[in-house]
Amino acid sequence: MEAPEDYVWPRATSELMLLPVTGLECVGERLLAGEGPDILVYSLDFGGHLRMMKRVQNLLGHYLIHGFRVRPEPKGDLDVEAMVAVFGSKGLRVVKISWGQGRFRELWRSGLWNMSDWIWDARWLEGNMALALGHNSVVLYDPVIGCLLQDVPCTDRCTLSAACLVGDTWKELTIVAGAVSNQLLIWYPAAALVDSKPVAPDRRVSGHMGAVFSMSYLESKGLLATASEDRSVRIWKVGDLRVPGGRVQNIGHCFGHSARVWQVKLLENYLVSAGEDCVCLVWSHEGEILQAFRGHQGRGIRALAAHERQAWVITGGDDSGIRLWHLVGRGHPGSGVSALCFKSPSRPGALKAVTLAGSWRVLAVTDSGVLYLYDLEVKCWEQLLEDTRFQSYCLLEAAPGPEGFGLCAMANGEGHVKVVPINTPTAAVDLALFPGKVHSLSWALRGYEELLLLASGPGGVVACLEITAAPSGKAIFVTERCRYLLPPSKQRWHTCSAFLPPGDFLVCGDRRGSVLLFPSRPALLQDLGLGGQAEAGAGELGGGGDSGEEETALTEWGPVSILRSLHGKQGVTSVTCHGGYVYSTGRDGAYYQLLVRGGQLQPVLRRKCCRGMNWVAGLRVMADGNTVILGFHANEFVVWSPRSHEKLHVVHCGGGHRSWAFSDTEAAMAFAYLKDGDVLLYRALGGCTRPHVILRESLHGREITCVRRVGTITLGPEFELPSFMQPEDLEPGSEGPSLIDVVITCSEDTTICILALPTATGSAHALTAVCNHISSVRAVAVWGVGTPAGPQDARPGLTAHVVSAGGRAEMHCFNIMVTLDPSTPSRLACHVTHLASHRLDEDWDCQRSRRRMVKVDPETRYMCLAVCELDPPDLGPLVAAACSDGAVRLFHLQDSGRRLQLLAETFHHQRCVLKVHSFTHQAPNQRRRLLLCSAATDGSLAFWDLTTVLDHGSAALEPPAEPGLPSRWAPPCLTVQAHSCGVNSLHTLPTREGHLVASGSEDGSLHVFVLAVELPEQHEAVGGAELAPQLHVLEEHSVPCAHAAHVTGLHILSPSLMVSASIDQRLTFWRLGHGEPTFINSTVYHVPDVADMDCWPVSPEFGHRCALGGQGLEVYNWYD
Amino acid sequence: MGRTSKDKRDVYYRLAKENGWRARSAFKLLQLNEEFQLFQGVTRAVDLCAAPGSWSQVLSQKIGSPQGSGHVVAVDLQAMAPLPGVLQIQGDITQLSTAKEIIRHFEGCPADLVVCDGAPDVTGLHDVDEYMQAQLLLAALNIATHVLKPGGCFVAKIFRGRDVTLLYSQLRVFFSNVLCAKPRSSRNSSIATEAFAVCQGYDPPEGFLPDLTKPLLDHSYDPDLNQLDGPTRIIVPFVACGDLSSYDSDRSYPLDLEDGSEYKYTPPTQPPISPPYQEACTLKKKGRLAKEIRSQDCPINTVNTLPQPLAAPRRHTLMASEVEDSGMNCSA
Repeated sequence: MEAPEDYVWPRATSELMLLPVTGLECVGERLLAGEGPDILVYSLDFGGHLRMMKRVQNLLGHYLIHGFRVRPEPKGDLDVEAMVAVFGSKGLRVVKISWGQGRFRELWRSGLWNMSDWIWDARWLEGNMALALGHNSVVLYDPVIGCLLQDVPCTDRCTLSAACLVGDTWKELTIVAGAVSNQLLIWYPAAALVDSKPVAPDRRVSGHMGAVFSMSYLESKGLLATASEDRSVRIWKVGDLRVPGGRVQNIGHCFGHSARVWQVKLLENYLVSAGEDCVCLVWSHEGEILQAFRGHQGRGIRALAAHERQAWVITGGDDSGIRLWHLVGRGHPGSGVSALCFKSPSRPGALKAVTLAGSWRVLAVTDSGVLYLYDLEVKCWEQLLEDTRFQSYCLLEAAPGPEGFGLCAMANGEGHVKVVPINTPTAAVDLALFPGKVHSLSWALRGYEELLLLASGPGGVVACLEITAAPSGKAIFVTERCRYLLPPSKQRWHTCSAFLPPGDFLVCGDRRGSVLLFPSRPALLQDLGLGGQAEAGAGELGGGGDSGEEETALTEWGPVSILRSLHGKQGVTSVTCHGGYVYSTGRDGAYYQLLVRGGQLQPVLRRKCCRGMNWVAGLRVMADGNTVILGFHANEFVVWSPRSHEKLHVVHCGGGHRSWAFSDTEAAMAFAYLKDGDVLLYRALGGCTRPHVILRESLHGREITCVRRVGTITLGPEFELPSFMQPEDLEPGSEGPSLIDVVITCSEDTTICILALPTATGSAHALTAVCNHISSVRAVAVWGVGTPAGPQDARPGLTAHVVSAGGRAEMHCFNIMVTLDPSTPSRLACHVTHLASHRLDEDWDCQRSRRRMVKVDPETRYMCLAVCELDPPDLGPLVAAACSDGAVRLFHLQDSGRRLQLLAETFHHQRCVLKVHSFTHQAPNQRRRLLLCSAATDGSLAFWDLTTVLDHGSAALEPPAEPGLPSRWAPPCLTVQAHSCGVNSLHTLPTREGHLVASGSEDGSLHVFVLAVELPEQHEAVGGAELAPQLHVLEEHSVPCAHAAHVTGLHILSPSLMVSASIDQRLTFWRLGHGEPTFINSTVYHVPDVADMDCWPVSPEFGHRCALGGQGLEVYNWYD
Repeated sequence: MGRTSKDKRDVYYRLAKENGWRARSAFKLLQLNEEFQLFQGVTRAVDLCAAPGSWSQVLSQKIGSPQGSGHVVAVDLQAMAPLPGVLQIQGDITQLSTAKEIIRHFEGCPADLVVCDGAPDVTGLHDVDEYMQAQLLLAALNIATHVLKPGGCFVAKIFRGRDVTLLYSQLRVFFSNVLCAKPRSSRNSSIATEAFAVCQGYDPPEGFLPDLTKPLLDHSYDPDLNQLDGPTRIIVPFVACGDLSSYDSDRSYPLDLEDGSEYKYTPPTQPPISPPYQEACTLKKKGRLAKEIRSQDCPINTVNTLPQPLAAPRRHTLMASEVEDSGMNCSA
């Protein structure tokens, strides 16, 4: 324990940051992005592809970058090097950078200059800089040597919320200041005859009803734009601002944002604004919205840049994402809705149904049983056939495939089905399948080899028809292969079908919301001797069928696997097979990822779509491997991208209840629908995707509430990174195998994110997100970390069980598996399998109905989780949850995480419980003891022994107060009043004497003590029941003013070293073991409102890593 | 979420409505008073940034007119619904005229207590919000130097962020005793990590002349006394106030509280008066916000408007011309 005198204490250095992007600027063909105190430099090429060149670290110390000002070069040559002034808060620094020949270099940087007040705007005036400061003053500053040249205040020293400097010399310098009074003050600093004599404002402009957050001046047109708290953007005609006394006229008042507007930028032909609603709007100078860019998440867009020559707008969000958008001017070129003008005297009857064969042929059927074709190349309607049996009720579906195979199918209310070759309608084949109405039709296509048509008739019978074409191509053959039987329900028909690769099974969805698996050739299975099982299934399901059905020659095959009511009562809308998974969509607003394992369907993960889209109609996989979701959002048809959170296409179609069809091919996507008795067709060239580029993926939309490291994946040299991704100067420790840490973050934005943090590149890759929670996620806990194929397998990878919990007393358990995938930038892929979920209110509802007892749901939040692994491990772990209603609840996870059960609860604390932490005590010849520590808002800690909780007749739990309630815990073994108010961090470390326990509180204090565990001798135990251990506090120390705010992260690294993190943005090392903890050093970090910290040793070469999660994520490392 | 969900999550929000307070912050001042006896011997109190007025409500009840001795002046930039026993000034606290008006209402006497519960509308950018809050506190301090009697007390909201030690060092210049206090009705998990600076014993440095024409700027880090990342920092003692047996603001309580009172929904006491976004909301309600031009809003009569690769050579059939003549569009 005695540290030698020459011991070098660790010092943390920042390694990686994911913070809101607060500054963006285009310089030639480069983009500068400000993130915290760092600049990210991207190079742009004409395809809109961007590549990160370099991160320039720590330009602004503890300040955050709010803007860049590039020094104008008289020769106009910014392609080789640039002098950039970087400012934010009260800091200013000038840096000279060069980027010739695709290589980035920092040539020189000035000192970091601290101003007396906040810098709202900066402007180069030849070699010096003018700065607009927080209380309405302007200074002239020499940024090279760091010297104040002039300081001119305004007579009105109000607090500003924005400022804009205009002019290229001090003499003509003009400031437009946005004051707290919501006015704009225009004044001229050079009017001060004597230095620092206040200057009166020349003009005061009123108009906005809230504070002005951003301003932009367009000299060529004499326009000024302002963005405000009142959710509007105003355009002012100001003429030349440098001339005093000019007239200011408000020529546009643009309301379009649904929240505060943070940024505005005037371009030659456009006005771009962005705000808290995460929308970037492109306006004309006349105040018309031309384009809207949606996709950022969370609290809005913070930075805006434009590249006028390339017509790009680049936005940086609070979600730390950066996106590039294309300015296209008015409307959407390449896409539009056309009315196909069906109504005509020559075409009587009203349209009943529409479908698309490929993206250029529309088929429609009328209530007089006439089938029409509209060919986009011919641009006219053509009658294909007329069959009066198909009047009044007719289903119409074209076959899938780029050209729809040239086939479509019709069905009527009398059980007739007609398969029509579009080019030779006379060769249509008719079948009489059922004695009653055909409820639905769907196609299933396997490559170009097998084409099936499924038709649902009365009583849940689905006829499976096989369609083959004659070699001549003129005739088609339709044969009934088999019949399937759906499980009984009120609306008993199927809605969709698809082949499960390689093709032995069909996946179907039904109107009752179930997903079913049928053998595609059941007769073949029967021949192989497997038929008995299928028939048994049929018999079980066919109980409701009448005897007449049994007499039919064909057997009705039941499903071999079924996920009942997966999508709820509104039904399944589509099934798609891709990449080894089955995806089903439903009208419950969700889509499921499913897996077929051992001939059985298994749900893997439920995914939600964008808010308000409750009718998910389909899922498509694009050429680049990304999926898009089709759905109806109120009365709009929407194509939505889960990756970019962007509505790629929106069509005002009136909703999904009328007949519609969607088709996408490489050339175009098409959506046809019926409206006002006509067929309307929306087409977009280039398919579903949009050319917008995600420069950097977003992390979380809201604050991170918890961060946990799962494990490390070691990649040997054979998995080396491609050379262009290597940083120019390698960090020490990056030689040898490369290490990738896998970290889980969860957030107020209801999602859980799995991140890969390679040690070599200082970058972060979001592998996947889990969005099962309905409210904020506050805690995650991890256990059972292993490798995918067991310890023998040398292939890199990682598996772990994760339990997450948060608002609305909701808890989820899932399994993650990280494997190698060379196709992704991180070269890792993460597969998530959802295992179990639990909601307290459902638990209570369940009790209530059984016991007739009313317990009101008090909106309980889970604040923290701890996993306690039992002996033997196959019992499954216990999960302790700190709850806001004053309880600590204990759950038992059984069946490798598939069953989550509430075991016991205690209301010992009677106050909101903030933290729980579990640890084990191992003594020789003794059973391993499981201990739990809980801490509440009153600053008290309670220690519990959980070792015997599951033992029969254990004294650890008491029977419930009322039957039906969970059991209650025995009183705690020990309570310690550690702090005066809430405990926000808790950690323990086993030592020789027992356990070192440390806690940090809201009052900024630390409390450290040694906990001794005294176990009663085995033979003392009477009657088999084990006695609880005796806990004592041995040595107790308190540091009252360790931090200036909540201590939210605490980790005991060794018996002599501890690290703490606080909302005051300091990461502090403490020396332990010599009485009171003593301060070693501290580092100022950049993440505000840090809610959690996790620390772990990486390798002897790399040292320790520490992740801080709050309004962003920052990773520090230090050498031991 | 229903209208009761906030009641379930936040017991003080609910109690404030039930007790007629305009905001839950009333409990914070009451609990601060419990700990520090702020109102003892106070006859003249100033409430800066008073809207919506819950602190003025508390002040008027505790020291206000019923006894005829106390005077409460409430200052805010925004209009506030009137309160009995409270004199309101709608004005800017950075203006000298406001200070003079306060003194005039106290008939030339300085105030015993100045409180400020103001916070700027948070933008979510933490450094900006912390700066703005600090400026508000310093502006409140600046006007307090004009109106506060020596030995008087000043209570203001602070955000305990990165640079809070700079504010502590500034406050220590003017007061003999500075503490950081957190009422139990203020949440632990509150996003803005708010607390209150309780400054007792106003004692300006010798030769200090109050000057409202210059803003008080915050201090900068000092290599000796108040280091950015060193061991020496000015962290003032922290006091948690309020009874431990009082309600826990972080805890979620059932709607039927333990004291047996039956839950009844109470609407908010005082809705906000003319927020800046009022016009935007009105326009939205009427559906008159500017909307982006959607593809289907551009009238396209025929598919000819689709760009070249798809536009096949036109066939002059009767049907095609009929299509063009019909002149239908879909902008309806």
